[in-house]
Amino acid sequence: MALVFVVIFFNSLRRYTVGRSVTWGEELPIYLTIYGVMFGLALAYLTDSHIRFTVLVDTLSARVRRILFLFSDVATVITGAALAYAGHVFAMRRGDVTASGLKSAADALASSTGIEALVWLGRVGPYQYAIAFGGALLAVAAALKLVERLTTPAEV
Amino acid sequence: MVYAILIVGLLAGVPIAISIVAALLVFMGLGDLPYTLRIVPTEMFKGLNSFPLLAIPLFVLAGEVMNESGITSRIIGFASVIVGRMRAGLALVNIWASVIFAGLSGSAVADTSAIGRVFIPEMEKKGYDRSFAAALTAASSVIGPIIPPSIPVIIYALIVSGVSVPALFMAGVIPGILLALFLSAYVMLTVKVDHDAAAEHDTGQSAGQALLAGILPLLMPVFVVGSILLGVVTPTEAASFAVAYALILGVFVYRNIALRALPRIFASAMKDSAVILIIIAAVSAANWLLTYNRVPNMLTDWVLANVDSQTTFLLAVIVLFLLVGLFLEGIAAMLVLVPIMHPIAVSMGVDPVHFGILVIFNLMIGLITPPLGLCLFVAEGVANVGMARLIRSIMPFFFVEVLVLVILTFVPETVIWLPRVLGY
Amino acid sequence: QTLRVAHVDPDDWTGSKKGAAAQIFKNIVEGESDLTVELFPAGALGNEDELVSQAQDGLTQVVLVSGAMSKICPAASVLDIPYTFSSAPLAWEVLDGEFGDALAEHCLEQTGLRTLAYGETGFRNFTNSEREIRTPADMEGLKFRVQPIPLYIEMVGALGGEPTPIAWTELPNALSTGVVDGQENPVGVIYNNGLHKLQQYMTLDGHVYAADFLLISDEFFQGLEPAQQEVIQKAAIVAGNMGRSIQQWNTAEGVTKVQDEGMQVYSPTAEELQAFADAAQPAVVSYLREELGDDAEWIDRLQDAVAAASE
Ligand code: NA
Ligand code: NA
Repeated sequence: MALVFVVIFFNSLRRYTVGRSVTWGEELPIYLTIYGVMFGLALAYLTDSHIRFTVLVDTLSARVRRILFLFSDVATVITGAALAYAGHVFAMRRGDVTASGLKSAADALASSTGIEALVWLGRVGPYQYAIAFGGALLAVAAALKLVERLTTPAEV
Repeated sequence: MVYAILIVGLLAGVPIAISIVAALLVFMGLGDLPYTLRIVPTEMFKGLNSFPLLAIPLFVLAGEVMNESGITSRIIGFASVIVGRMRAGLALVNIWASVIFAGLSGSAVADTSAIGRVFIPEMEKKGYDRSFAAALTAASSVIGPIIPPSIPVIIYALIVSGVSVPALFMAGVIPGILLALFLSAYVMLTVKVDHDAAAEHDTGQSAGQALLAGILPLLMPVFVVGSILLGVVTPTEAASFAVAYALILGVFVYRNIALRALPRIFASAMKDSAVILIIIAAVSAANWLLTYNRVPNMLTDWVLANVDSQTTFLLAVIVLFLLVGLFLEGIAAMLVLVPIMHPIAVSMGVDPVHFGILVIFNLMIGLITPPLGLCLFVAEGVANVGMARLIRSIMPFFFVEVLVLVILTFVPETVIWLPRVLGY
Repeated sequence: QTLRVAHVDPDDWTGSKKGAAAQIFKNIVEGESDLTVELFPAGALGNEDELVSQAQDGLTQVVLVSGAMSKICPAASVLDIPYTFSSAPLAWEVLDGEFGDALAEHCLEQTGLRTLAYGETGFRNFTNSEREIRTPADMEGLKFRVQPIPLYIEMVGALGGEPTPIAWTELPNALSTGVVDGQENPVGVIYNNGLHKLQQYMTLDGHVYAADFLLISDEFFQGLEPAQQEVIQKAAIVAGNMGRSIQQWNTAEGVTKVQDEGMQVYSPTAEELQAFADAAQPAVVSYLREELGDDAEWIDRLQDAVAAASE
C-alpha cells in the first residue's frame, strides 16, 4: 500500500515537473494493488471485517450462529482452494503475454544484473498469479479461523 | 443452482464477495473443466486491472490518515463555532461536520466511524437519545460520497464512458448541501430542547481560533477537488496528493502520527480497501456471466417494452434502486445495473450527469437501510444500541432522504445547473 | 443451435465496420438457415485477446478481431510490414486470393480457428501537434504514441520518431498533456474518438493496412451440416466486404470532417511514400525475420503475392 502510494505520487510529481512519466508508473501500482487486495482479502477474513448479511444471523441463537460461522469457514476454505486452482489455470494460460509498460524496465534490469530470470517481471504471468495467490491465502486464513473457532469453547 | 448457492451463502453470513465467487466457480466448474473455470479469475483480474480504480485505496488511506492526525477533531471544532450555538446545536454540528468531512473523503463509511466515535458519546452526554445520535450520524454521513471527492462517482465514470468525473463531482455539490439543509430543518423542527440551547455545544473557541485551527484541513478539499476540476490531475493522482497532504499534516505539522504507526495505518487501509475492491472483482466476474447469458439485453428489452414515459422510468428507477439498495452493497449494485439502465435513460432523454447523481444518491440511501446498510452497521458498532432500536430511529431520516431524492429527480436543475454554468 | 458472435467495436452499423459486418452476418445466417445468432458488440465479453481465447475454448463461436490475430498466429504479423499495400483494392486482391487462403489454412492449424473471411480496420496514418510531415526527416525528434507492439516500435524508430508505448485508454490524456506529440491510427478511429481535436497535422501515409479477421471455432464449424456451413461461409464473405465498405465510407467522411474542423491533412507524393518505405521496411523486415523464425517464409510469400497482384 505504501509502495502504491509512493509510486503514484512520485510518478505524478514527475509528470508535472519533468513533463514525462515512467512507462511502468501505471502498471506497477495496479499490480501491487491487486496483490494488496489479495493480502487484504485474507486479513479481512481473519478479522471478520468482510461485508456480509448479519441481520438474519443476529436473530439466531448463539449455538446456531456458531454452526453458521463454522459453515462459512468451511465454505471459504473450499472457495479459496478452488479459486487458487482456477487462478493457476488462468495465469498459466496467458502468462506469457508482455506487460507493455514493464517490459523494457524488466529487460533493462535483467541485462544490468545479468539475471536472465528477471525478464519474467516484464510479463503479466507473475501479476496474474495474484488471483491464485489470493485464493490460496484466503483458504489458509479461513482454515486458521476455523481452527480458532473450534478450539474456543462456545459462549452460551 | 447458482442462485441457490448465492442465497444460502449470503443468508448464512458468508462474506458477500466469497459467496459470489463460490457460486460462479461452481457454475463454471459444471462446464467442461478446466477452460471455463478460468473465466472467473480472468474477469476478477480484469475488474481490478484499472488505473482509475486505484483512487479507491488511496482515498481510503487518506481517510485513515486524517482520522489519526486529529484532522477530524479540528473539523468538528470549526463546525461547532458555526452552528453549535443554534437550536439543536450539537445535532447540527454533527450534520455540518459531515458536510466538511465530505469534502475530504470519498466514503460514507469512513465518515460514520470518524464522526460517530466523537459524537455519539458526546450527544448522549448532552441529553440526546443515544440511538437518535447514532441514526443521525449514519444518515448525515450519506452526504460524504455525494459531495466531491467521491468513490462512487469515480466508479460510475468508469462504468459509463463519456460521463466525466469533474462534471459528476460538480453535480453532486448542490444535492449534498440540499440534503444537509433538509436534515438540519428536520432536526430543528423535531428535537425537543429541554436545556439551555446556547450552552449546547460551546467549545469556548472564538470563530477566529477555530478557523485558524481548522484552516489547513479546510484547505485540503479546495486543493484536492480543485485540481481534479481544473483537469490538472486525474482523480487517482489527486488521491495520492490527498494522502501526502494528510500525512504531512499528521506527521510534521500536528505531530500526532508517530512514524512507527505508519505500517499499521497502511495495513489497515489495505484491509479496508480490499473489502471494497474484492466485491468489485467478484461482481465483474458475475457480470461476464450475466452478459454471456444475455440477461442485460432481456432486461433492457423488457423495460423498453413496458415503460413509455420519462417520468414513469425515473420513478421505476427510484423504486428499483431503493429495493436493490436494501440487499446489495452500492458499488456492486452500480456495476450490475448501471450498464443496463444508463443507455435506457439516455434514450429516454434523461441527462447522463443527472442520471448518474440520481443513481448514486439513491444507492447511498441504501447505506442506511436494513438488512444490508454499511453505515448502519458501523453506527451500530460504535453506539451499541441494538440494531432493532437503531432501525426505528433511522426511519424518519430515511423518509427525509427519499424526499430529497424525489426533488432531485423532478427538478433536474438542482443537479445539472452547477456543472452547466461551469462549462462541463 | 446458437452462434455467439463477439467483437470490440460499437454495434452501430453506420459508424462501425465490425458492427456492420456482425449485423449483416446475423441477418444472412438467421434468414437462410435454422441457426440463431447472438451478437456481443462493444467488448461486452472482453478485449480481443480474451475473445480469441474464448473462441478457442468454445465459449463463443465467431469472433471478429484485428490486432489479436498475430499474437496467436505470428505469421499473420507479416501483414503489418509497413508500406506493403499501395491501395486497399490491392490488399483485398491479395487477401481474397491464394495468399489469404494459405495464411488462413496455416493459422487454422496453429489456433483451431478458421478464418472465414477478411474485413478491414483500415490504413493507419500519422498525426501530430508540431508540424506537417512530408518525409521521414520531418518525424525526427517527435514522440509518437504506438500500440505496445514491438513491430510498431521498430517502425517508428526506423522513421526517425521516438516511439512511446501507451495504452489506448490513456492516449487522449497523453496527447493533451503533451506526454507525446503524435500518434498513428486509421482515419475513422481518429475522427470517431475526437483525436483530431488534440492534433493539428495528419499525413495520409497509410503505413500499415490493418485487416479484420472473421474467425470461427473449427470444432464448432465441423459439427455443422454442409448446408449450414455454406450459409455461414457466404454470410462471412458478405460481412467482410460490408466491413470494408463501411470502413472506406468512414475514412472518406472522416478526411473531410477533420479538415472542416481545422486539421491540416497532407497526402504524400509517390516519391515521398517511397522514402517512407525505404526508411521503415528494411528495419521491420529484419526484425520480423528474426522474430518469426521458421515462419519467416511468410514474408517472402507476401512480397511475391503483392508483386504478382501489382502487375
Ligand atoms: Na466526498
Ligand atoms: Na442497504
